[in-house]
Amino acid sequence: MSAASAAAASGVQVQDLSASYGSAAIALREVTFTATGGQAVAVLGPNGGGKTTLFRALLGELEATTGSVTVHGTMAYVPQTERSRLDFPVSALDVALMGAYGRTPWFRRITAGDRAAARAALERVDLADRAGTRFGALSGGQRQRVLIARALVQDAHVLLLDEPFAGVDRTSEEAIMGILAGLRAEGRVLLIATHDVEQARGWDRVLCLAGAQIAYGPPAETLTNAVLEGTYGEEIVMLDCGHRAVAIQHHSH
Amino acid sequence: MRTVFDKLGLVRWLTDPLAIPFMQRALLATLLLAVAAGLLGTWVVLRRLAFFAHAAGTATFPGLVVAGPWGLAAPIAALGAGLGFAGLLARMTRRGTTSADAATGLLLTAALALGTILASDVYESGTAVDRLLFGTLLGLGDGDIALAAAAALAAVIATAALGRTWLATGFDPAGAPALGVRAARGDRLLLALLALTVVAVLPAVGALLVSTLLVVPAATARLLTGALAPLLAGAVALAAAEGLGGLLLAYHLDLPPGPAIAVIGGGVFALVALASSKRQTVS
Repeated sequence: MSAASAAAASGVQVQDLSASYGSAAIALREVTFTATGGQAVAVLGPNGGGKTTLFRALLGELEATTGSVTVHGTMAYVPQTERSRLDFPVSALDVALMGAYGRTPWFRRITAGDRAAARAALERVDLADRAGTRFGALSGGQRQRVLIARALVQDAHVLLLDEPFAGVDRTSEEAIMGILAGLRAEGRVLLIATHDVEQARGWDRVLCLAGAQIAYGPPAETLTNAVLEGTYGEEIVMLDCGHRAVAIQHHSH
Repeated sequence: MRTVFDKLGLVRWLTDPLAIPFMQRALLATLLLAVAAGLLGTWVVLRRLAFFAHAAGTATFPGLVVAGPWGLAAPIAALGAGLGFAGLLARMTRRGTTSADAATGLLLTAALALGTILASDVYESGTAVDRLLFGTLLGLGDGDIALAAAAALAAVIATAALGRTWLATGFDPAGAPALGVRAARGDRLLLALLALTVVAVLPAVGALLVSTLLVVPAATARLLTGALAPLLAGAVALAAAEGLGGLLLAYHLDLPPGPAIAVIGGGVFALVALASSKRQTVS
C-alpha cells in the first residue's frame, strides 16, 4: 500500500483501557488517548510503568480488562535489538523479509515483489550494502534499523517502537531520528517507548505512564515538573538550570 | 603396487559390508533418519531444545521396558512415556518456582531410574536393557524403517511449510506474533514433530543416544555456517556421514552401532570446534 493511503486513515484510539497479565494484579489502568496519522507519540514512564503492557494490549496479545482499543490500519512492533537472538543464522535481508511472512501463505515462496520491498526497505534505512551481513554481526544501531526495515516491509500504518534508541550509537541515533521523521511525514502513527525525557520534547505528543496514565498531550504543556514527579516518583531529580526536569533512571538489574 | 593394494583394501573395507542385506537395511535406515534428525535437529539446536530433546529420548526408556510385557507396540509405549514427560515438565514449571532445566534434569533421572528398576526387578528383562538404551541399528524391522521414512517425509514437509514460522519465532519471540506469524501453533507442531522424530530414532540409537543424531550433527554444522540453508543441508549430510561411519566401524570392530556413531559424532564435533577456534584466532 502506498504512503499516501497510510496517511488517509491510520490512527489509534484508546478509551479507559485497563489490562493485566492473567490473574495477576492490574498492570495498567485508565489509559485514554487518541493519536492520528502523522503523529509521533513518546511513551514515557519508569521500568514497570506499563509501556510494554500498553504495547501488548494494542497488539491484541493482552486482553483489555476494561475499556477499548481501536486501531485503524495495520500495526507493526519494533522490538529492542537485545531481545532478538544475535546468534541466529539470518542476514539483514532475511530479517527484513520477515516483514512479508504474515502475508505469505505457508505453501508459497516469498514473492519477487516482497524481495524487492525488503531491499528497498534496507535502502531506506541506509543499509543496502549490508543486506548479506549476518544480523548478529551488525552494530546495535544497524540492528535497530534492520528491525525498522522489517516493519516497513510489513507496510505498517502504526509502528510501536520499544526503546529504539537503547544501546544505539550517536550516528545511528541521528539516522533513526531521520527515518522516523520520514515515516511521520508519510502519515504513519509512531508510538515510541523511551526513557529520554529531553528527546520526548521533540515529538508531537507525550503519554506518561506509571501504572496508570499520568498525562497525555503536547510535550510543551504536558511535561511539567508535577507530571514528571507523578510519572517517575522518587526517581526524579530536579535541575534548576533551564527550568526543566530531568528524569534519572535507577537501573537495578 | 602396494598403494594399489592399499586403495583396493580401503575400498573393500567400505563396500564389502554394504553387500550384506542386513547392512543395506541399516544403511537405508541411517539415511532416512539422517534426513529426519538432521532437519529437525537444526530447529532443535536453533530453538535451544537440545536438553529437552535428550531428556524426552531418555524419558521413553520406562515405556520401552513395559512395552513387551504389557503387549504394546514399542513406538506407542515410547510416545506415551515421552508425552508423560512433557506433561509433567509443563506442570512442574507452570508456577515458575522450578526452572525448566532443573525440572528436565530431575525427570530425566527419574525416568532412567524407573526404567532400570522395572527392567531389572519387575520384568527381569536385563538383557534387553542395552538394546533399549543404545539401540540396535543392525536389527531393525520393517515397522522401524517405515517409521523412519514417515519421520523423514514429515521433517521435509514441515521444514518447507513451517520453516519461516520457526525462524521468526526463534529469532524474536516477542515480535513474531505482531508479524502475523502463528507462533504458538508453530511451536506446538515443532514439539509434536520432535516427539515423532525421537520415537523414530529410538530403535536405531536407543533412548540414551537420541542426541547422537538429533543434536550432534546440527550443532557441528552450526560451527561451520551462519546461514540457514547450508545449516540444514550440513546437518543432514553430517548425520548421514557419521551414521555410515558408525555402521562400518561397528561392522569391522564388532562394536554396537549406536555408541560407534556417537563416538564419531563427538570426534567430528571436537575437530570442527578446534579448527574453527583456530581459524578465529588467526583472523
